[in-house]
Amino acid sequence: MRRIVHMTQKEFRQVFRDKPMVAIIFAVPIVQLFILAFAITTEVKHTKLMVVDYDRSTVSKDLVLAFVHTDRFDLAGHTTDLREVREGMRGWEVQMGLVIPAGFGADLVRGLKPQVQVVSDGVDGNSSGIATGYAHGILAGFGADYAAVQDSGAPPAGLSSVRMEERMWYNPDLSSQQFMVPGIVVVLLTILPMMLSAMSLVKEKEIGTMEQLSVTPLRKHQLLAGKLIPFLFLSYVELAIVTTVAVLIFRIPMNGSYMLLALLALLYLFATLGLGIFISTITRSQQQAMFVAWFFMVFMIMMSGFFIPIENMPPVLQKLTHLNTMRYFMSIIRDIFQKGSSLPFLLRDVVPLAAFGLTIFSVSVLAFRKRVG
Amino acid sequence: MHETSVTTRELTRRFGRFVAVDRVSIEVGSGEIFGFLGANGAGKTTLIRVLCGLLKPTTGEATVAGYDVYTQSERIKQNIGYMSQRFSLYEDLTVAENIEFYGGIYGLARTKLRQKEKEILKNFGLHRHADSLTAGLPFGFKQRLALGCAMLHEPPILFLDEPTSGVDPRARREFWDTIHETAGRGTTVLVTTHFMEEAEYCNRVLIMHVGRIIALDTPDALKSRFEKRTMQEVFLELVGKEIGETRTRGQHGEQGEKP
Ligand SMILES: Nc1ncnc2c1ncn2[C@@H]1O[C@H](COP(=O)(O)OP(=O)(O)OP(=O)(O)O)[C@@H](O)[C@H]1O
Ligand SMILES: [Mg+2]
Repeated sequence: MRRIVHMTQKEFRQVFRDKPMVAIIFAVPIVQLFILAFAITTEVKHTKLMVVDYDRSTVSKDLVLAFVHTDRFDLAGHTTDLREVREGMRGWEVQMGLVIPAGFGADLVRGLKPQVQVVSDGVDGNSSGIATGYAHGILAGFGADYAAVQDSGAPPAGLSSVRMEERMWYNPDLSSQQFMVPGIVVVLLTILPMMLSAMSLVKEKEIGTMEQLSVTPLRKHQLLAGKLIPFLFLSYVELAIVTTVAVLIFRIPMNGSYMLLALLALLYLFATLGLGIFISTITRSQQQAMFVAWFFMVFMIMMSGFFIPIENMPPVLQKLTHLNTMRYFMSIIRDIFQKGSSLPFLLRDVVPLAAFGLTIFSVSVLAFRKRVG
Repeated sequence: MHETSVTTRELTRRFGRFVAVDRVSIEVGSGEIFGFLGANGAGKTTLIRVLCGLLKPTTGEATVAGYDVYTQSERIKQNIGYMSQRFSLYEDLTVAENIEFYGGIYGLARTKLRQKEKEILKNFGLHRHADSLTAGLPFGFKQRLALGCAMLHEPPILFLDEPTSGVDPRARREFWDTIHETAGRGTTVLVTTHFMEEAEYCNRVLIMHVGRIIALDTPDALKSRFEKRTMQEVFLELVGKEIGETRTRGQHGEQGEKP
C-alpha cells in the first residue's frame, strides 16, 4: 500500500512539474469546449435571402415578412432580376433566392395553388437542405394562415386543411450545443486518461526507469495503481470543470443525476485507462504512443455518433460501432444530460459499457509486462 | 568468502540465434568484489541483466542470494541493488525526491528513509544539490546518486554496470572507495568496467569475450600467469585488442544500448 502511495506521489510530482502538461490538462479542454460548442453547429441561422418579387402585392410583402421575422433568414436585398441572385451567390452575399411570381397574391386570394420558387446555394449541401426545410415550413404556415384569415367557412381547396404542430421534446430549440457539449465531455474523458497513461508508461520504458523499477520489489499491480490513480483523479477534476462550464456558461440543462454521471464515468475510465495501458504495451516511444492514441481516438470519435449520427451510417459501419466503447458512453451521457434518464433506462448502454470497460482493462493489465526483455 | 551469493552453471542467453552469454559458470562469495571485463558486446550487461531477473536465461542455472532466477525473481529483487549502464533515475524529480521515491518503493520506514537520505547526501557530496532537479546535475553527480539509490535498502548484493563510465578520474577513485567500504560491510559487489586499472581493485576478475569466459582469477594471479605487469597487458594478450582508456566516451557515458 505504501508503495502505491509513493508511486502516486511521484506521478503527481512529475505531472505538475511539467508546466505545458498542466496547461494541456486544464486549459485545453476549456478552449476545446468553446471552439467545438460554437463552431460545430448543425443549426442553420441567418441564411442570406434575396427576394425576387414579381408580384409586389401586399400578400407578397407579407410573405417576405414571414421569412425575415424569424432569425433563420436575413434579408439580403430585393431585386427584380433573377441574375442578381446568381451574382450574389457567386459573391457569397446570397445563400437563397425566393422568387415570387406575378399574380401570386391574387391567385392565393382566389384559392388557387400559387407557386413560389426557392433557389438555394448547394455548396454547403447540409445547411442548404436545412434552410430549404425551414422555407418549406414558413410557406406552409403562411398558406394556412392566409386561408384562415380569408375564409371563415371551409378552407379553400388546394391548401392543406391539416396543420402540423411541431414540438421538439428534450431539446425544444433544437440547439446543437445541447447535443454537442455533453459529447465533448466524452471526448475529453477519452483523450486525457488514454493519452496521459500511455505516454507516462511508455516514457518510463523510453528513459530506462522501467528497467530500474523492474529490479525493485514493486509489483505490477502496485506500479499500475500508482500510475493510474493520478490520471483517474485528474479525469474527474476535468469532468467536474467541464460539466461546470457546460451548465453555468453554456446553460446546458443537466436533467439527470450527477452521482450517476460520475459513477458511469468510472466504467468508461476503466476502458480508456485500459486502452492507455494497452497502447504502452505495443509501443516503444512516446511519439509512437501519441500516434497510436490519436488513431484510436479518431476511430472512436467517428464511430461514436458524436458528429455523424449512427443511423446515417451504412449497416456494416453501424455494426462496427457496437465495438466502440465510446458509443455507449456517448449515448449515456446525452441521455443523462438531456433526458435526465435514470439507471434502468440506461441499462441498454450501461451493460455493454461495463463489459467493454472491464474486459479492456483486465486484458491490458494482463498484457502489461514489467519485465523489459 | 565463505558462502556464495551468486552462482551460475552453464548459463546461456541467446537473442534469436545470437549467443550473447555462452555457458558461463561462476561462483561469487559474499563480500567479494567481482569484476567483469570485456570489450563492447562481450555480454557483460546481458549476464548482469539475467542475474537481476530482467532477462530470463535461455539455458543453464543461476541462483542469486540463494534464490533461483527462473522461479524466485521476486525474492531476488528484495536482495539486490542494480545500477544500470544507462542512467535511469527520474530527471524531472529532485535529488531528494528520487531518494525518497526509491526508498519508498523499497519499503523503508520513514525514519530510516530520512536517515539514509541524509547519509547519501553527505557521503556522496550531494547535500548542496538536494533540491536541484536531477536533470541539471553534472554526470558524475548523477552516477553517485544512482549508486546511492541502488544501495538505499542495504542490499546484500550489488550489481553495478559500468558505474564509472564518463566519470572523471578523481570521482572514480571516490567511487571505488565507496565500493570497498560497502564490500567491507559484507556486501557482494559485481561490477563491470572498461578501465583496466579498476580491474586491479577487484578481488577477482572475469574476462569475457563474445559471451564466453576466457579467464577468471585474482588480478595478481592473472598477471603472474601471463607474466605481465598490468591488467591492461593481460587483457591485450587475451583479447588481442585494446580497449579501456582508448575508449573515449561522451560526457554522458551513454552508448546506444540495444533494446
Ligand atoms: N535485447 C537484445 N536483443 C538482441 N541482441 C542483444 C540484446 N541485448 C544485447 N544484445 C547483443 O548481445 C551482445 C552482448 O551485449 P551486452 O550489452 O551484454 O554487451 P556488453 O559486454 O555489456 O557491452 P558494452 O561494453 O557495450 O556494454 C551484443 O552483441 C548485443 O548486440
Ligand atoms: Mg554493457
